[in-house]
Order: sequence, then structure tokens, then C-alpha cells
Amino acid sequence: MGSMKGRILVVDDDVALAEMIGIVLKSEGFEPLFCAHGDEALEAFRTGQPDLVLLDLMLPGKDGNEICRLIRAESGVPIVMLTAKSDTVDVVLGLESGADDYISKPFKPKELIARVRARLRRTDEPTPEHLTIGDLEIDVTGHRVSRNGETIPLTPLEFDLLVALARKPWQVFTREVLLERVWGYRHAADTRLVNVHVQRLRSKIEHDPENPEIVVTVRGVGYKAGTGSS
Amino acid sequence: MSVAAGTWPARVRRGAGRGRAWLALAGRGVVARWRGSLQIRVVTSALAFGVAALSGLGWFLSDRIADGLYEDRLSQILGDSASSTQQAQERFTASAGDRASVPDVERLLADVVGQLRVGGSGERRDVFLLAAPNQPSRTFANDQVTAADRVSLITSELRAQVRESDVQLWMPVGIPVDGEPPVPGVVVGSTVTVPTVGTYELYYLYDLSSEQQTLAFIQRVLLLGAVALVAVLGALTWLVTRTAVQPVRAAARVAERLADGLLSERMAVRGEDEMATLARSFNEMAESLQLQIHRMEDLSRLQRRFVSDVSHELKTPLTTIRMAAEILHSSRDRLDPAAARSAELLTAQLDRFEALLADLLEMSRFDAGAAMLDAERRDVREVVVGAVDQASALAASKGVWLSADLPAEQVIADVDPRRVERILRNLLVNAIEHAEGNPVEVTLAADENVLAIRVRDHGVGMTPEEAEHVFDRFWRADPARARTTGGTGLGLAISQEDARLHGGRLEVWSRPGLGASFLLTLPRRAGITIEASPLSLEPEEAPVPEPRVEEGAAAADPAAVPDLDRLEA
Repeated sequence: MGSMKGRILVVDDDVALAEMIGIVLKSEGFEPLFCAHGDEALEAFRTGQPDLVLLDLMLPGKDGNEICRLIRAESGVPIVMLTAKSDTVDVVLGLESGADDYISKPFKPKELIARVRARLRRTDEPTPEHLTIGDLEIDVTGHRVSRNGETIPLTPLEFDLLVALARKPWQVFTREVLLERVWGYRHAADTRLVNVHVQRLRSKIEHDPENPEIVVTVRGVGYKAGTGSS
Repeated sequence: MSVAAGTWPARVRRGAGRGRAWLALAGRGVVARWRGSLQIRVVTSALAFGVAALSGLGWFLSDRIADGLYEDRLSQILGDSASSTQQAQERFTASAGDRASVPDVERLLADVVGQLRVGGSGERRDVFLLAAPNQPSRTFANDQVTAADRVSLITSELRAQVRESDVQLWMPVGIPVDGEPPVPGVVVGSTVTVPTVGTYELYYLYDLSSEQQTLAFIQRVLLLGAVALVAVLGALTWLVTRTAVQPVRAAARVAERLADGLLSERMAVRGEDEMATLARSFNEMAESLQLQIHRMEDLSRLQRRFVSDVSHELKTPLTTIRMAAEILHSSRDRLDPAAARSAELLTAQLDRFEALLADLLEMSRFDAGAAMLDAERRDVREVVVGAVDQASALAASKGVWLSADLPAEQVIADVDPRRVERILRNLLVNAIEHAEGNPVEVTLAADENVLAIRVRDHGVGMTPEEAEHVFDRFWRADPARARTTGGTGLGLAISQEDARLHGGRLEVWSRPGLGASFLLTLPRRAGITIEASPLSLEPEEAPVPEPRVEEGAAAADPAAVPDLDRLEA
């Protein structure tokens, strides 16, 4: 069924669920890799070099949040968490440890595939595109953000978020619109995703994350690109 | 200076006004202190009683002492004057023979009066020797007095009585002193017979100022003693109440700290007395309170943990089942009809199962107190529009008009958009399913502090008794009917909890045949208490119950039976 679209590492200790996820992924043309223990996850990530990680939160050994942090420390690869808990604290904690997105159990195969596709959908712009936002230079095709010639490392999701804002600096984006543009949600979903990732993005690109100038909050509405300073 | 003087009265008046205000303020302060402190109250009452008792006692003592002093002095005076009079009479009698001429008699009188000036006890007194009027004697000798200005103290009534009497008489008088209050004194009078010139009245004026001074001194000492006693009483009461009140204050302090959540706070236990018992009992109470609270916390934590575990343990296999079912469902064309229908049923029922599980978990999260408000500043109009958009598909399938009436300006509020949207979704689905094809209206309104969203349908409606139960878990107005329309039976219960979590409320109004009205009222910011809602729960156009219903009721009413009887008779 189609060509190989990407390698996906499934970290889950529930063998039945992992196998089922594998069946669904294979049917959509992805190549699944499996890991059932938290302590082996990082090793599996290094050897497998996946294009995306599906990560269960509750694992024997290291838990999902910790694995998330470890992978994030060495790679910007998209991480989607599988979580049975939808309590605010758990979700926010997962997002803050570097996950790009999360799927609440129980989920449908279509939902899983949509989320995986959205994260793998690398923008293959045919023409070179350069944007500026504040004092930042964005090379969209080269996936590079720099300030005064110095590259700022961003994860692909953070990059997409910044590009979405920078392309229309006159527009205020609601969280729902950003969810649709960046995360690929078609229906209103958890806006905390946006909040957490805007915070993460700010901590990397703002001079003073407490007083953001590049990604500005519009109270009661959402976010917009700031004019920046200096 | 005259210019400055002109300003004075105004300044004084202002000063007086301020003074009154200050007095009123101080008065309120004193009243507050009086009400607020048991110690001040007890000390003040003790002082008041002490002062009253000591004043009474002092007055009684001083009265008795004055009486005693006076009696003593009077008997001494009367004895003194009697013996002096006797001496004088003896002198007069002894000189009866030899001196007969008036000048001689006058000399004798002056001599005797001079001697009498100094009394038996060596004290000085004024002596008045006055000729009795209307005597038959032809000869006349002048009155002899030692203090002419005090003769007026001897009243004519006294003189008349003295002349009538055989014994000496006395009368208390006030001796005038220049520029000062009169000094108490006593006048004692009797008659003596002087040869040649006849009967004379002899009066002595005794000065009681030394007794008065003694009395004043004693009174001063008494007063001093009383003041000292009152001071001691006050200090004593203060000390005693302090020892009694101190532990109570300590208990109050500790209780406050306990109430603030410092559960390990305890009172100090000293000695074996009642205060120690109070402290011990208090500490026991705190101990059991702490134990109970810890037990509740443990229970709550256990419950939360259980919910979380169940959630994980159930959801993981459910996910596998769900995915497997979807795979089967998507390939149902290749299955035989029975297996294909089974796959369809499996998928549909999994949806129901999932919804029920989600609602159950949400409910137990509320019950465990684990539900948290994830509030953000939002334009509530967007939330309403989102919910209405989501419900529009269902509304279209049921042929229900869905209209939203939103204010023109933003309605910014701190809300948890997921929860508010969930409430609205539940209300809208509920309204659309019971609307029976009639329109459903959503209205949003807000004032400064509060916002309100009303969802109104014009469907079958419920009786007020039924409406009371709509927020009950798994309650259905019509059990037979509702099964087919789906829903978990927890939607409205969860909605109400969501509203409560916001510090808001969710109310219902409904009448059979008139539809239902659900009103969600939320504070726009945390800490605002809802007093009134900007929207009314009951529709303004609510008419009286339809006559159709009454006719039906009358027909079924047993009260109609007597009519039939009458017809037959």
C-alpha cells in the first residue's frame, strides 16, 4: 500500500496495543518499530532513527516524560504522547517535557493516522522563502531561524508555529486557528497545546520571555507576531 | 489683635466639632473594647461593685464615728457646764450677805464670768450671763458676756425654755466664722440666782471644731483606705481574670491557626488544674480533627489514584478493541452479512461505551475533588459560537432551527473554555433532542461581573417535579423513550459540576408543553459571587398552563363522578 512514508517508533508496554498500532500504521504505509520498556527507549530511538515517536506515558522503567526530555535533548524529532490520563497536570507536564502533541486513549485509527501525518507533513515548499519577524531571520526552506547570523535551534513544531505567525504579521491568530494550521486539527481541541508551545518557543527566541516582543499575546483572542525591538 | 480675635469663635467651633467627633470615635472604641474583652468587662464590674460597697460602708462608718464623737463630747460638755454652773451658784450664794450694791454685784458677775471662761478640762469657752427679763427686782446689773458678737446664737426660744426649766438645756448651733463655713458648736444654758439682782441665765458656748477636725481626718483616712482597697480590688480582679482569660485566648489563637490549616498546632499544657484540662481536651480535639482530615485526605488521594488507575487500565485495552473494531468495520464489505452487521454494532456500541466511561471518569474526578479549573481569559461569544457550530449538524438532522443571540461587544471572562463548551454542548444536545422540531434559542448576556447563557427549547417540557431531577445522575424523564436517543445520563450532572467549579450555577425551568429553559450563570472573574443573573430563567412570555391540560385533568378527575349520579337520579 504505497511507498514507505516514514519510520515510527512505538514505545508502549502493552503488547496488544503496540501490535494493533503497528497493524494500523503498516496499513497506511508507515514502518513501525517497537520498544516495550522505558529504559530501552532511548537506545531504540538512537538505533532506529525514527521520523516520529509515539510514546506511552506510563511505562516500566523510565516514564514517558523522562524519555521525552532525553530524546528532546538530542533531537527535534516529532513526539506524540499516548495518554490515558486527560487531567490537566499530566497533559501539561507531558507537553512541557517536549512532546509536540498528544492523543488521549481511547483513540480511533483515523485519529492516530491524522495526528501522525500532521506531524510528518514536512512543508515541501517549491520556492525558497525568507521571512523576518522582529530581529529574527527565518529561512523557511532551509528550516533555519537565526538572529544576527546565529542559528537558534527549534523543533519542527516550534518552527511551524513561528512561520505561521510570521507569514501574516498583521493577523491575530486564535488558538483554534493555530491548532488547525500547525497541529492539523480540524475540530476545536485542547488549546493548552498552543499555550505550552508558545511558552517553549518564547523561551528560545525572546530576549526576555517574561515580556515577549516577537510572539505577543492578544488578551482574550490569541497570539500575533510582534514588531520586535533592537 | 482685633482682626485675630474675629477668627477665634470659628476656630473654637471647629475645634469643638472635631472634639465631638473624636469623642464619638473614642466612645465607639471604648464600646468595642468593652464588648471585645471579657477581662475589661470583669475588671470594670468588679471596680463598680467595689466602689459602691465601699462608699456605703464608708458612709455608715463615718456616720457612726461622727455620732460617737458628738455623743462623747456632749456628755463631757454637759458635765463640765453643770459643775461650772454649780461653782458659780456657790460663789453667788457665798457672797450674798456682804455685797449688796449694784456695782459690787456687777464686779462679782464679771469676776465669775472671767473664771468660767476656762472650763474644767482647761478648754476655753464663751460664757454669757444674761439677766432674765421681767423680774420683780428693782435693782439691775448689766449682762456679762465674753463674746458680744455671738450672743445672737442664743435664741429667745432657748432662753424662754431655760427660764422654765430646772435643769440645764443644750442646743447645737453653727458658729459663724469670717469667710468660712460655720463651725459646729453647742450652747448649754441654765439659771443661777444672784443676790440683790435676782435670777440670771448662764450660757456656755462650746466650740466643736476640734471634733470636726478629728472627724474630717478620720474621713480622709477612710477615703484613702477605700481608694487603696478599690485599687487592690481592681488589680486583683485583673490578675485573676488574666489567669482565667489567658488560656482561653491561647485556645482561640490555636484554634484560628488550626482553622488556617496548621493542623499540628497544639496548646501548652501546664499543671493539673482546669486550665490544663481545657488545654488537654483542646489538644485531643485537634488531634482527632487532624486524624480525621488526614483520613479524608488519604481517602481522597486513594480515590483519585483509583480513578486514575482504572482510567489507564481500562482505556488501554479499550483502545486496542476500538482499533480492531475499526479495522473490521472498514473491511466489512468483505465479510458475510452477519459478521458485517456485528462489526457495525460493535463500533456503534464502542462509541457509547467510551462516552459512558469518559463521563463516569469525569464524575468520579468531581467526586474525588480532583477536578481543576483551567481558566483562561476568553471572549465567551467564541465559546458559544463553537458549541453552536458543533451542535448544528445534530440540529439539521432533527430539523431544528438553532439561533444564537450574542451581544455586539466582546464578553471577556476568565473561564475554562473546554468546560463551558461541554456545558453548552450538553444543553444544546439535550434541547435539540427534546425540541420536537421547534426552534432552540441560545442567548448570551453579561453585566460587569456576571455572564449568563440561556438555552431555551419549545418542546415537550417537563413538570416542575421532573425538572427538579434533571441534574440527578442517570435520571431520565421518560425511561422508555430516552434509551433510544442516546446520551449517558450523566451529561447534565457533569454540566452542573462544571458550573459549580467556575463558582457559577446552572438552573432549569420547565413546564409540560412549554419546553424548557436552562440558564448558566458564571462569574466573569474569580472571586465574584453571583447575586443576580443578567438573564431570567423563566421566559417572559410564559403563559398560564394550557386549558387543554386542565380539560384532560377534569375528565380524569374522580370529582366528575357525582355528575353522573345526578343524571341517573
